[in-house]
Order: sequence, then structure tokens, then C-alpha cells
Amino acid sequence: MTGQLDRRGVLEALLFVAEEPIPLGKLQEVLGDEDPAVTEASIRELAQRLEGEDRGLMIQEVAGGFRLTTRAEAHPWIQRLQQVKPARLSRAALETLAIIAYKQPITRAEVEAIRGVAVDGVMRTLLERGLIRMLGRKTEAGRPILYGTSPAFLEHFGFKDLGELPSLREIDELIGPPSPESPARSISSAGEDQPVAKTPSQDETRERTESGGSP
Amino acid sequence: MSYQVKLDMFEGPLDLLLHLIREHQIDILDIPIAKITEEYLRYLALMQELDLDVAGEFLLMAATLIHIKSRMLLPPEEVAEGEEVEEEDPRAELVDRLLEYKKFKEAAQTLSLLETEQALLHPRGAPSIAFEVEGPLAISLLELLRAFHDILRRAEVLAPLEITPEELNVGQRIVVLLDRLSVESPIEFTRLFAGSTRRAEIIITFLALLELLRRHLATARQAEPMGPIMIYRHLEPAEAPDETQAGPQPGSQ
Repeated sequence: MTGQLDRRGVLEALLFVAEEPIPLGKLQEVLGDEDPAVTEASIRELAQRLEGEDRGLMIQEVAGGFRLTTRAEAHPWIQRLQQVKPARLSRAALETLAIIAYKQPITRAEVEAIRGVAVDGVMRTLLERGLIRMLGRKTEAGRPILYGTSPAFLEHFGFKDLGELPSLREIDELIGPPSPESPARSISSAGEDQPVAKTPSQDETRERTESGGSP
Repeated sequence: MSYQVKLDMFEGPLDLLLHLIREHQIDILDIPIAKITEEYLRYLALMQELDLDVAGEFLLMAATLIHIKSRMLLPPEEVAEGEEVEEEDPRAELVDRLLEYKKFKEAAQTLSLLETEQALLHPRGAPSIAFEVEGPLAISLLELLRAFHDILRRAEVLAPLEITPEELNVGQRIVVLLDRLSVESPIEFTRLFAGSTRRAEIIITFLALLELLRRHLATARQAEPMGPIMIYRHLEPAEAPDETQAGPQPGSQ
């Protein structure tokens, strides 16, 4: 390995410089591991080390790769530093995106049939933001364009892959409780019993209701 | 009153129908079509009176509802004795569409929760894409419209005397609302109409409010479904970071 750094240190450095999630295969290649399981084990070790109260980062498995991200608990401070509002999509955009995510590949006309309204404006916006992409053309009259979600979609919602979309049946149960149990999914869920940082109470719910001005 | 308010965040006729179904606690599989059609048309009339840019889909749905209603009134077709023919429910297709739409509406809510969670994480490198913060209507336009509908109805019950035919316009009313919000914010939606008994006046106030929302000068929010709707004055984003909401103090070790 490189000088005084062990594998985990190298991994940390790699994840730090990456602009987007790095696939396991890529990390394996860079580390020169024979077996991807070895690379993955190191990633988990590093993730565990980051679990301490004195660490502000975590490793997230998202969009087919791994990335370093700040922990949810640090969010209030980051907001103070940057003074930016968290990114949110409009309801129309979310509905359209949901239909595309579950039904892809799908044409615009098919999306409109489900929503019962024209969606060209919303879909243009989603395309511009890179959340959806064109997948090809349907083999029918007029050869309409088929749309699907992009890797940016996975990142925006924190999915590893499309298999993580909650099944449409599960959704009822998910919506039931107002606050989800885990604020964010880190790849190592081992340390459940670690002391919880004094989180600003109800931060998430507040976020949802106060995306605009303050009272 | 030729003041066109355009809002491109209209959720559509299916959404309106689901609202009505929920509001009247109707079984989606057994919709009283005459009643729902009447309710639907009432909203449509209200939108038109407000000169909202009612999209063609809303009119199309009205036609569909009326068509279903008329088919329900027809006597069942003559069937030969003893022969059982499964009569197709004229509502079936609409119900299927509603159920399908509802499924994705709920999926969108789930996505919204996940988005909220994910927004707390700040990855390296990725300049958090500058999405528009969700529009000014933290509640949907339909919900606002429904609340407005109640106010109008109440005003009609009060049957006011029309005495002061003063000149009213939306522009002036916008200024009045802004003044009011600068003194008191948030203010409950219904209180904006307190003291107004004339239909025209109430409508002008509502149009002015819609315009404020559209221009992001105010925000309408509702803490819980069916709860009171609060109108907030919309501050500049950089202005007044709210001290009361931050839990732990950074650097208070």
C-alpha cells in the first residue's frame, strides 16, 4: 500500500476526491484487489470507523456506487454555513417522476393518461435537471420517445438502484407513520446502540413545512 | 374583473375528484355519481368565475362525469328471460383511472419523504443542484380553493346588504394584503376575508392572494390536512435566519 496509509485511508481519500458515487468495481480496480468482497469489506470497515460521534461524514451506497457524504445530524450547521434551502421538487414533478420511475420505459402520452393532465412542461424541467432521460423510441405509429429515470434520480432520492423503489403496495404502510425511523441510510447499520447526538428536534418535519419564508 | 390568474401547478381533474371523494368520505368503488358530478361542477364554476386558467382536461372530465351520470339513469337493457348478462358499471373505467392515479400520487408522497431525508446529506463534490424550492403553495391550489369555497358559501348565507359600491381592484388589494402581512404574519387564511361580506370583494381578495403566492411574496401552508391554512409573508431567503429553530448551538462545546 501507499506509504503510511492503510487500505481504509486510501479508500477515504478516493471517496473524498470523487465527484460522483464510485462503483465497487472501480474501487476494486484502483486498489488492485483480486476479489470485490475484499474491497467491500474495507469499505465497511471504513464506514464503521466513521460512526463515532466525533465524525461528521459517512459512506453512502447510492446510484450503483459509494460516496462520502456528511451525516444527516450535521445538516443544521451546514445550512447555517451555506444558507441554502434544501432541494425540493414540486408536487407535479414528484407525481410525474413517480409514474416514470415505476412504469419506465414510458412515453409522455402514457404519463399524461395516468395523471390526467398535460405534462410536457414538467417533463422538460425533469429532463433539464437530468432526473429523467430518453431511453429510445417506441415501435409504434409516430415512434414516440420513451423515457426513464437517470442515475441522478437515484442520487436525489438515495436509492442504490431501481430495485430499491418501494413497491407500490408497500407505500401505504410507508406513508402511515409521520416520521421515518432512520433519517438516512448509511451503509453500515451495525451501531444501533451508539449515543445519539443531540439532534435539533423535529428537524425533518420542520424542513418540510418551511421550505419558504420564515414566520 | 378581467384579471387572469395563471397557475401552472394545477394538479388536474383526477386530483380534484380524489379530493371530493375524501372530503365526503365516499367509497371510491361506489361513487354516488350524481352527487360527485354536482360537486365537481361547482368547483369548475368557481374556477371559471375566478377566471382561473381552467385547463381543457377539467372540462373533459366534466363531460365524462355527465356522460356516466346519464348512462346510470338509463334503464338496464332488455335481457332475455333467465339469461344473466353482466351489466358493465358505467363508472368502472373512471374508477380504474382514479385508483391508478391514486397509487402514483401516494408513490409521489413516498418519494417526497425520501427526498427530505436525502436533502440532509451533503455529498462531496456534488454542487447541490439548485432545484427550485417547492413552489409557494406548500398546500395545493385545490385545497386553497376548497377553503375559499367555504368562505364564499358562508358569505352568501349572511346575505349582506349591498351598500358601498366602491371601486375595487386586484392591484390595490395586493397592496392592502402586503401591508397587512407586514404587520401580522402568519395570518389565518379565513381572517383575510373577515369583514368582507360582498361576493365581489371576497373574490378580489382571493385573486390578490393568488397573485401574491404566484409572485412568491407570500406562502400558504397547512400543518395538517383539514387544519387551518396559514398565510406567511415571504421573506427574502438571506434575510432573518430564524434563531429559534436551530437546536444545538454550533461551537457550544
